[in-house]
Amino acid sequence: MIVLRRTVGQAICIGDDIRIVVTKVEPNTRAHLGIEAPTSVPVHRLEIYEKIQQENCAATQGDTLAWLQGAANDA
Amino acid sequence: MLILTRGIGETVTIGHNVRVTILSVKGSQIRIGIEAPKDVRVLREEIVDSGSETPAEEA
Amino acid sequence: MTHKEQAWKAIVEIEQAETFHFPQGMVGFPDANNYVILNSGHGDIVCLQATNRAEAAFLVTPWDEKRLGKQPELTPEQLACLQSPDGNNILWLLVLNPFTDPKWVLANLRAPVAINPDTSLGMQCIQVNPQLDVHFHWMQQPGLAQQAA
Repeated sequence: MIVLRRTVGQAICIGDDIRIVVTKVEPNTRAHLGIEAPTSVPVHRLEIYEKIQQENCAATQGDTLAWLQGAANDA
Repeated sequence: MLILTRGIGETVTIGHNVRVTILSVKGSQIRIGIEAPKDVRVLREEIVDSGSETPAEEA
Repeated sequence: MTHKEQAWKAIVEIEQAETFHFPQGMVGFPDANNYVILNSGHGDIVCLQATNRAEAAFLVTPWDEKRLGKQPELTPEQLACLQSPDGNNILWLLVLNPFTDPKWVLANLRAPVAINPDTSLGMQCIQVNPQLDVHFHWMQQPGLAQQAA
């Protein structure tokens, strides 16, 4: 992990096309991060990203087409 | 520009292999931890602007 | 032939099938960027199948305004990703999970899929509202009534 100290108005560059700027700091509490990245790059809070990732994996853990065929047959 | 608000210990994911965590907020200064693949440059913007390529890492 | 093999055969055979490009992939599947829609004729549930990964096969169904209220809205970043100027004419789909709950097919209301039919671009749009249920009871598992007999 690379650790940098930043304050309001300062930015970090990651790779060629990602920039993170500290737009606001609530003293001793929270940082507001402005993130600039190409539209192909998803940006998310970690906890929700992991939750959705988990759910997508659960939704694809079985044979989706087999389920769909089975459901169509039952109908 | 997307703006996300994060507290101490909270993390942002960028793409699928970059994570940015707020390690501390002391007054108005923050310490940010960046996890990225080894071949991805992580630099303070003013370093990039000055043309110097030496990455600055602070404890 | 397994169903997965059937799917791959179908994909290879349908040369003109419309492919949707998902620049961000799906959450957890960042490299699955191109999808076709496979229709098995079961009502309005279809399979969103990645063309490069057999296991990235998502059951999806269109957003139902009668049950769920107004369709979600796209953020500026999402509008840009889908190259949609105004967010009109977007097809919203729910990812269904038939594998976790034996009684219910679950719908993920928190992260619906948006497709822009004008550009054939799509993405999974994580919603800000934490009240949206990831495990919404969409429908009973088919055949449940028959199983009880």
